[in-house]
Amino acid sequence: MSDLSEIETPSRLRRMLDSDLFYAFRRSPVAMVSTLVALLLILSAVFAPLVATTNPFDPASLNLMNGFTPPMEPNAFTGESFLLGTDDQGRDVYSTILYGMRISLFVGVTAVLFAMVLGIVLGLLAGYVGGWTDTIIMRAADVQLTFPSILVAMLIFGIAKGITPIEYRDQMAIWVLILAIGLSDWVQFARVVRGATMVEKGKDYVAAAHLIGRPSLSIMLRHILPNVLSPVLVIATISLALAIIAEATLSFLGVGAPPTQPSLGTLIRIGQQFLFSGEWWILFFPACTLLVLALSVNLLGDWLRDALNPRLK
Amino acid sequence: MFKTLCSTAALMSVLAAPAIAKEFKFAVTTDPQSMDPHAVNSAPVLGFLNNVYEGLVRRGKDMAIEPALAVSWEPIGDGEGWRFKLREGVTFHDGAAFNADDVVFSYERASSEASDTRSWFAPVSDVIKVDDYTVDIMTNAPNPIFPDSIANWMMMDSDWAAANDAALPDKEAGNYATLNTNGTGAFMVTTREPDLRTVLEPFGGWWDEAEHNITRAELTPIQNAATALSALISGDVDFINPVPIQDVARLQQDPNVNVIQGIEARVIMLGFDQQAGAAESGQGGSDVFLDARAREAVAKAVNVPAILQTIMRGNAEVASQLVSPAMRGYSDAVSPYAYDPDAARALVEEAGLAGTKISFKCPNNRYLNDESVCQAITSMLAQVGLDPVLDAMPVQNYWPELRADNFDMYLLGWSPGTLDAEHPIRFLGSTPNSEKKLGSWNFGGYSNARIDELLPMIQSEIDDGKRQMMLDEVASTMQNEVAYVPLYVQPLVWGTRSNISMTQRPDNFFILRWVTVE
Repeated sequence: MSDLSEIETPSRLRRMLDSDLFYAFRRSPVAMVSTLVALLLILSAVFAPLVATTNPFDPASLNLMNGFTPPMEPNAFTGESFLLGTDDQGRDVYSTILYGMRISLFVGVTAVLFAMVLGIVLGLLAGYVGGWTDTIIMRAADVQLTFPSILVAMLIFGIAKGITPIEYRDQMAIWVLILAIGLSDWVQFARVVRGATMVEKGKDYVAAAHLIGRPSLSIMLRHILPNVLSPVLVIATISLALAIIAEATLSFLGVGAPPTQPSLGTLIRIGQQFLFSGEWWILFFPACTLLVLALSVNLLGDWLRDALNPRLK
Repeated sequence: MFKTLCSTAALMSVLAAPAIAKEFKFAVTTDPQSMDPHAVNSAPVLGFLNNVYEGLVRRGKDMAIEPALAVSWEPIGDGEGWRFKLREGVTFHDGAAFNADDVVFSYERASSEASDTRSWFAPVSDVIKVDDYTVDIMTNAPNPIFPDSIANWMMMDSDWAAANDAALPDKEAGNYATLNTNGTGAFMVTTREPDLRTVLEPFGGWWDEAEHNITRAELTPIQNAATALSALISGDVDFINPVPIQDVARLQQDPNVNVIQGIEARVIMLGFDQQAGAAESGQGGSDVFLDARAREAVAKAVNVPAILQTIMRGNAEVASQLVSPAMRGYSDAVSPYAYDPDAARALVEEAGLAGTKISFKCPNNRYLNDESVCQAITSMLAQVGLDPVLDAMPVQNYWPELRADNFDMYLLGWSPGTLDAEHPIRFLGSTPNSEKKLGSWNFGGYSNARIDELLPMIQSEIDDGKRQMMLDEVASTMQNEVAYVPLYVQPLVWGTRSNISMTQRPDNFFILRWVTVE
């Protein structure tokens, strides 16, 4: 298989392996370990149905009598035992974490993509068109920056919950969460893209494109955009970690993923009720997973920022 | 010189000790929705307002009726009603005198169309002022338990209500009386910030001798059970209700904290939408529970002992009917539904309901572990082939949702204010009838002509044996028709700092005048 791909695209793979970025990657143990961990977590979330022992989202498969089983100990009533124990509903914590991480990652990635697209579009417009458009977009961004993003997300979530019909609330909850996190996150992207666009706009190749009569839209998308993407990539990675945490925070506060489809944050919220009574595993394992996931993505983002910024070398 | 100063200071502190402010901070899960005693008929509201407002009679520590704003009462003639002699010299917190006009006014207010307590007055035909301190309450039929049934009917000053444009309660939008109080009780509300804090101070002009030693009390709603528990352990609050059931064992080992346990008079049950076409639109099987087989399937699918074993940690008892065994009129004729998932599955198949979506509404801050219980029930129903969609919400949104008929199935807890089996029949078993003030909490619209016929007979029956026979008939009819699915009797778990003494009443009312702070 690998031979085949090398034959098909030898130059591209070579180019990648020879690149500065890859060289920096190989020289940084932090980057390698965090990539490995992040990949491992992401893959196990994506392939959760294969890796998990049960499907915690299928209410028909749960047995309440399995509730509160400690890790690796047989349950007093059913005799079943679970790697990481069970929660109050008899859900296997290990499987629930995998499925919960799926929701956390899906929300995080989609929200960042949404924020990225929105931020790039508005940033390009503001930077390229300038004038009133710039003023309006950037003042809106400034206003939004004065509110903590979690507050903005909660506000959006509240409004959306109010206007969605009750029978669709559960299905909509995830999408509303994405919208809420995405909308509270676009400002970072817009600011960076605007700044980079303004720099690029004055360069000769843009003037040349103008001279040969390329339409503005084409100049923005085909000429300027590729040149402002590397800082966007850095922000996207760091934003991913923040979005995962934002989702966990919202779910922890009870305004995120519904309890029948718990994300990592919902699991932590559920587990937190049982801390005093000694059922530590319901909180501990999801919290550890969230920590490791957010940390590895964040370290990767940090490294990427340093590697792509020649001035920091 | 220094020595003298020190000893003077020590002496002063000793002298000042009896006058030291005894502040009492208490936390509950549900903030009382309203300060209006006639607007919301729910325990958090009535329980709290029992400290501020008073009725003609009140319940003592053993739940027995004792005189409050009335000093004595006696039946009129051959059971036409009851004559109440009012207490003289009682004043409201604003200084106005209490008299018979206030009783007549409070009757009109509490029995009005706008009031949630209207069902209490179903047996009453009229309230007549005889003189300033005598009131006749006329009943439709002889009503031997009437004085027992009005302990929560609280008196409001007619002039105060008129002056503040609050002559009628407003349970949805609210009015002056929703945020302000003027009762005759032992405590006055000095600050009211909904969902934030409510401050009470003792009322100097109270007619009764104070048993408590509180100088200031502050109520803080803390929704998160773990947060409330940490606040109690750290001493930020002196009292929490409830203690999370999973933490009882650990808390009992803490020398600074006392756990007070009991059995509440409250039965937790499932209710069903049994009116054609009244359910949510777009939910598919909106009329699922019109079919008695569907209700029976639910009754057989829910494994109550498993819920009690795990979620309630063995701290509750299975219920067989709408009242607990401690209540008067409890029926021995019925026993709890047996858990039988195979029979439930067969019923679901037979009625053709496999895979039917059911909208299941549940509160998440009203009863002990309510959301966990609902989640467990959701799984159990899914296991017999139904497809319940759980929607858990705070109680502030929950009641409006139920009143708007937005459910197929819901969770309800009922604690009879009269401690009698007749009470839930009036509220939950009767066909809803606003004119007759019946069935006001019968959200699902359960209706049975025989029960409607039996209720007035139960209310007027003096012979205990005959009365019990009728109560037995109602209990078995409701069980056969699966009007509700009674689940369990809720445990009562309070936690206090060890320097506090108080009395726990099985209706889960927290009575401040029995609290002493050491």
